[in-house]
Amino acid sequence: MSANSIFVEQLSKTYQVPEREAGFSAAVRSFFKRKYKDVKAVQHVNFTITQGEIVGFLGPNGAGKTTTLKMLSGLLHPTGGQASVLGFTPWELKPDYLRSMTLVMGQRNRLSWDIPASDSFLLNQAIYRIPDDVYKQTYKELDEMLELEPLMKKPVRNLSLGERMKCEIAVGLLHRPKVLFLDEPTIGLDITGQARIREFLREYNKRTGATILLTSHYMADVTALCERIIIIHQGQLKYDGGINDLSRKIAPFKLIGVRLTDADSHDLSGYGTQVQNEEDAEKRYIQVKAEDVTRITSRLLADLPIHDITITDPPIEDVIEQAFNQ
Amino acid sequence: MFLIIKRLWQVNWAEQWQYRANLLMYLLYWLVSPIIYLAVWTSIANQKGSVNGFTANDFITYYMLLLICDQVTSNIVIHTFGYKIQDGSLSGELIRPIHPMLTNGLVNNIAFKMLTIMGLTPIWIILYFLFKPDFSSVSITGILLAIPVMLLAFVIGYLLSATVTSLAFWTTRVYSIHEFYFALILLFSGQFVPLTLMPKVIQDIAQYLPFQLLLYYPIQLIRGKLSAEQIMQGYVMAFIWLGISALLFNWVWRNGVKRYSAVGA
Repeated sequence: MSANSIFVEQLSKTYQVPEREAGFSAAVRSFFKRKYKDVKAVQHVNFTITQGEIVGFLGPNGAGKTTTLKMLSGLLHPTGGQASVLGFTPWELKPDYLRSMTLVMGQRNRLSWDIPASDSFLLNQAIYRIPDDVYKQTYKELDEMLELEPLMKKPVRNLSLGERMKCEIAVGLLHRPKVLFLDEPTIGLDITGQARIREFLREYNKRTGATILLTSHYMADVTALCERIIIIHQGQLKYDGGINDLSRKIAPFKLIGVRLTDADSHDLSGYGTQVQNEEDAEKRYIQVKAEDVTRITSRLLADLPIHDITITDPPIEDVIEQAFNQ
Repeated sequence: MFLIIKRLWQVNWAEQWQYRANLLMYLLYWLVSPIIYLAVWTSIANQKGSVNGFTANDFITYYMLLLICDQVTSNIVIHTFGYKIQDGSLSGELIRPIHPMLTNGLVNNIAFKMLTIMGLTPIWIILYFLFKPDFSSVSITGILLAIPVMLLAFVIGYLLSATVTSLAFWTTRVYSIHEFYFALILLFSGQFVPLTLMPKVIQDIAQYLPFQLLLYYPIQLIRGKLSAEQIMQGYVMAFIWLGISALLFNWVWRNGVKRYSAVGA
């Protein structure tokens, strides 16, 4: 079944932000007459996500990602447009809807700060009406993946950011939601921790067929999990499609990396734009248009004493960066 | 639902114990004004014999009972919820399939109440031996009649405070509004001065307001100072205000949530 899980049409959110200049008289004036500035956080965004998809939601800071997630989870009322998730209008906050989705945000959310996480887990079991056997099973699975047990007895305020994040994700998944909104789910985690969460999310998606919409600043999260990405910039949708198509559409370039037998003596500027690559200082890179790759490669091979040559796609970070700037 | 309440209770009870210093400050705050009123009015009554028919012992019994009633009927929802709306920490609770104010908020207040009652009891006993009130006019019937109305008054007071707190969805100055609301309570509940000593016009207004149900009405009921007709009238007012406060809260909350901006996280 490929039912639409998330359906968004012309979704918009404009915040009214009070503004005033600094200084005493401005303060007095604003007491009597407030000035407001409209901030268009999200403007006429459309997309549809099919059940079981994992979609990466990307954009620079302030692009409107979190605002969109907040609207889809029901926290915010939009100022325009519609959305439906699993057939519900999110901001009506119907208990049946809230029981079938989760929103995990980077900061403290579902866990009570002053008491051990285990108490919050049991509270959520009751709130989401999870039967004991299902709860035990789910907890066991989460514990296996995330190694929760050592964290459960400590007050949440004494956990590290990464430990807290693990608990936040786990507590948000206890009720086995069908739709997951994840805002920076791997923030604060070390490399192993990030990889674990990724693996866990992929497994969860495969096993339950849940729909996942996630934002992340770690491109590795996105490339590892998502086949499809949605890019939003200044509140507007910029790209919606396959992650592999992105470079073709936005930046139809390839990177040719060459290692020369005598490193610095040759000028490569005649072949294409030279680019820096910090990871491999031995190699020199030139960026060329995708259709020119074969021609330029054969020229390079003919002209220069080449020790090693590679042809790769530009890093996805650079492509997305380019997409933002368009 | 029972399990939810039970687990909420466990969490909130455990949380309350984390704030012992906070609790002590609240307790002092709570005690100070009734004890000052008690001391001031008793000394005036002692000098003059009585104030408008209120003898020194009347004042003592009135304020000793007020300390108990206040514990039962008051709430601190503005302090436990106001900031959550403003700093966005309500978000986590808002997307849970239970009403934040009517479940967690309520349980939190009751847990706090239990703890303050534990702290207040020894202090009350000390005051008892200090002031030696004469409780001879108190009857079992009065107490039994007062208990349900005190519980009703707690619910009404909670809903009204929750309504005021929900104004935080509109304004960041909700604490000033609450101060004004609190001044109304001080005046019309009979905390500042027993309502019978107030000008006639204030007494007439107070009859129709919910605030007297918090203190004056149950205190006088326990002290056996109300006629059958007055008792009836109090109960009728309690049910009317229960309806009004429930409707009012529901309306303000529903519209407030639409304006929630989930700032921060």
